[in-house]
Amino acid sequence: MKESSNQLAVLNRCGPYAGNSAQESLELVMAMSNFGQEVSVFFIEDGVYQLLTNQNPSIIGRKHFTKGFAALHFYDIENIYVCANSLLERGLTPDDLMMEAQALSKDEISGLLQNHKQVIRF
Amino acid sequence: MATISLLITSAPLMSQSAHSALRFAQTVVQSEHTLQGVFFYSEGVHNANGLQLTPSDEHRLYAAWCELALQHGCPLLVCVTAATKRGILSIKDAKENDLNHTTLEAPFQSVGLGELSELIHSSDRLIQF
Amino acid sequence: MDYYLEFNGQQIETDKAGYLLRVADWQPALAPELAKQEDIELSEAHWEVVNFVRNFYLEFETSPAMRALVKAMALTLGSEKGNSRYLFRLFPKGPAKQATKIAGLPKPAKCL
Repeated sequence: MKESSNQLAVLNRCGPYAGNSAQESLELVMAMSNFGQEVSVFFIEDGVYQLLTNQNPSIIGRKHFTKGFAALHFYDIENIYVCANSLLERGLTPDDLMMEAQALSKDEISGLLQNHKQVIRF
Repeated sequence: MATISLLITSAPLMSQSAHSALRFAQTVVQSEHTLQGVFFYSEGVHNANGLQLTPSDEHRLYAAWCELALQHGCPLLVCVTAATKRGILSIKDAKENDLNHTTLEAPFQSVGLGELSELIHSSDRLIQF
Repeated sequence: MDYYLEFNGQQIETDKAGYLLRVADWQPALAPELAKQEDIELSEAHWEVVNFVRNFYLEFETSPAMRALVKAMALTLGSEKGNSRYLFRLFPKGPAKQATKIAGLPKPAKCL
């Protein structure tokens, strides 16, 4: 884990289709990176559902925006973290997720957030 | 002394957040700190809707934002993508889409997310409501 | 007001700026028509980018912003093609804007 004092942390706490915030969070993350801002992305609480494989949101009339997570490495976003406690509480394991994310405990996540200059949460 | 920017992602009537944001902003401009800018994103763009008709015995949040901007020169920046999705349109946005109505006017400004990136760079603190 | 592109006797719906409304309406034969609106005559090099951008969209449900397009192209096609000078030479008004249009993709978000 690298020191990242200048970085922006984006914290995702909502399920993917609970509102529009998960999609707008991803759009913000991509835009910030496009403007040269370093970004770390965190998934905690219901936010971990955003990373589930086998989503089929078109049947509820929604855009499959979570396919975009797999493109984050093209935006040089490598710091992607998921809360291990949140996964466990929901009966999920890292194998249920569509992409590799570092699983960290709640305490590790709060520690890491301290290294970020700004935090935006959705 | 710090430079502070606000990120508003809450709609005016959905929680206390938008009201708290305004009170926070009013406090900052009275303090020794600098309010660099206010950026409206996601549901927060509803704050920029100039067609909000607030009953006279309720707090007029929209008018208060405008007053803050005009008196203290603090920019009120609205993400164009989040806003147009929700019917918050400047004259330019409306014309580009053949629509006759506009809902976004000065002192609110329709801008890109690059402006948020600038605010993040130039502020010591970004506070989200 | 409705906007559309006449093609082989069919009317294909577009937005005001000429971007197709439905990704599935696109076919390779449409690309030269869309390119004409951008004053671009498609070369092999253009096609490579157009196909690249379209495949990117189909895989990730989002068109690449400039930074991602450059990196993704550099990784697959090498740094001679994955750089903004090369891409702007092919699409002078911006690869993100013009290549997406020719590839039948939605108009990119204005906030980028």
